[in-house]
Amino acid sequence: MDKIILGRYLPGDSIIYRLDPRGKFLLTFYFVGIVFLANNVASYAFLLAFVLFAVYLSKINFGFFIKGLRPIFWLILFTVALQLFFTPSNHPLWHWGILTFSKEGMVIAGYIFIRFVLIIFISTLLTLTTTPIEISDSIESILKPLKKINFPVTQVALMLSIALRFVPLLVDETTKIMDAQRARGVDFGEGVLIKRIKSFVPILIPLFVSSFSIAYDLAIAMESRGYKDGEGRSKYRVLSWDKRDNLMVLFMAVVTIILLFLRSY
Amino acid sequence: MEKIISIENLNYTYPESKKPAIKDLSLDIYKNEWLSIVGKNGSGKSTLTKLIDGLIEASSGTITIAGQVINEENIWDARKRIGIIFQNPDHQFVGATVEDDVAFGLENQGMPREDMIKEVDRALALVKMSDFKTRDPQSLSGGQKQRVAIAGVLATKPQIIIMDESTSMLDPDGRKTVLDLVQQLRKQQDLTIISITHDIEETELSQRIVVLNDGQIVKDGKPVDIYDLGSNLRKYGLEEPFSSKLMSIIRVTEKLPEGYLSEEELKQQLWKLHSNM
Repeated sequence: MDKIILGRYLPGDSIIYRLDPRGKFLLTFYFVGIVFLANNVASYAFLLAFVLFAVYLSKINFGFFIKGLRPIFWLILFTVALQLFFTPSNHPLWHWGILTFSKEGMVIAGYIFIRFVLIIFISTLLTLTTTPIEISDSIESILKPLKKINFPVTQVALMLSIALRFVPLLVDETTKIMDAQRARGVDFGEGVLIKRIKSFVPILIPLFVSSFSIAYDLAIAMESRGYKDGEGRSKYRVLSWDKRDNLMVLFMAVVTIILLFLRSY
Repeated sequence: MEKIISIENLNYTYPESKKPAIKDLSLDIYKNEWLSIVGKNGSGKSTLTKLIDGLIEASSGTITIAGQVINEENIWDARKRIGIIFQNPDHQFVGATVEDDVAFGLENQGMPREDMIKEVDRALALVKMSDFKTRDPQSLSGGQKQRVAIAGVLATKPQIIIMDESTSMLDPDGRKTVLDLVQQLRKQQDLTIISITHDIEETELSQRIVVLNDGQIVKDGKPVDIYDLGSNLRKYGLEEPFSSKLMSIIRVTEKLPEGYLSEEELKQQLWKLHSNM
């Protein structure tokens, strides 16, 4: 579990950490969107330079970003390979059956690779520099307009923050149950697929049952502390949007304009 | 003495069972009192706390808190007077950090943010957890978690604190810290403490002990009187206190006065018997 960097928070302090999480959250999505606008070497090089600059500003060890790529390494390799051998071309360098290898294929495969790297790096940057609770606060604040159509924004936000808060507890619980079942002779990760799936039943059922009992305890504890239905509550945690964040939006706008220029160049 | 909680002819049966969990129970709890409710598993202790806090609804009988008979409308007001610290600290944390969790009860009351910041600091200082303010609950020890839970309860300034087996998952050190802290707060802030446990040793700080069995009160008295029951406590699924066990061994060869002696009294008594002066 320790090896997964994606979605993990890394305590630290730098300008990226101090940015408003709402801005960071939205702009990360925005960036993932504009990555698809890039269409030539210059525009990709520019976006890569931008991402590397942001990574540099965060003062986080670059190794963490490389680690972030690891879980989807095979997916990237597979997609790049597909592009490499299945891009149709009039001047193939090499040809065998349905497989073609050409200069165009190489270029497109390169683009796809950079695109993956850009998206993974920028989203790793978001999660490494933003605590889960900041992310759930951002989601609540972004969804706020939906209140007008009776969407239960506060409840969804509370659910989200409780879910995030219970992830480590449930991971602990799972390890405990697995060890307990191992002690009783259950063998995980052995045998054929069906047998492997079956061996997970003794984990899943106790895990579900204990989730239910945790949920019951928590609901009772929340009610005893005066939680009614999310209405009429005040907030302890307040996000503040300041000059830095305006600057970030402005910077992003400039990036977009340069990108559009490079694209048609 | 002023009554803070008055329970009259309370009955409760869980929907899935035939046997009543609480049978015609009446009990008065006084202001600033430390009351221990003891009894074996399934004697109705936890059910009683949930009934007092209105988390479950009684089949019949009345509960009066601070002069007000509890019904569906005023239960939220009554709840503000009561703070409950539950058994498993992991299952009662709502907030993502220590300060968020302490603020939860205040947020529910709609307290303005500036006041909340002050209250959170005050409550954390009371339990000596101020340095842990921004920590993730998962990184704390069991005793520290339970102290944060107490801070969360203290922040809302309740008059009654119910400890529902709050120390049962702590080590002896953590248990002592939590109990001493609660005792100190009780004296400072005129709180009423209701402590629920099945460990007889844990009741030594209390002024009154109620023994519950099968949903009924079977004994109600001062700790000395309850401890005096000695091996008869086993009938109610309770362990005999240490000094009472020791006395029954010593009695075989030595002459000891009748009745229960605390460990300290027993020590004095033994000194007296064996001194040659």
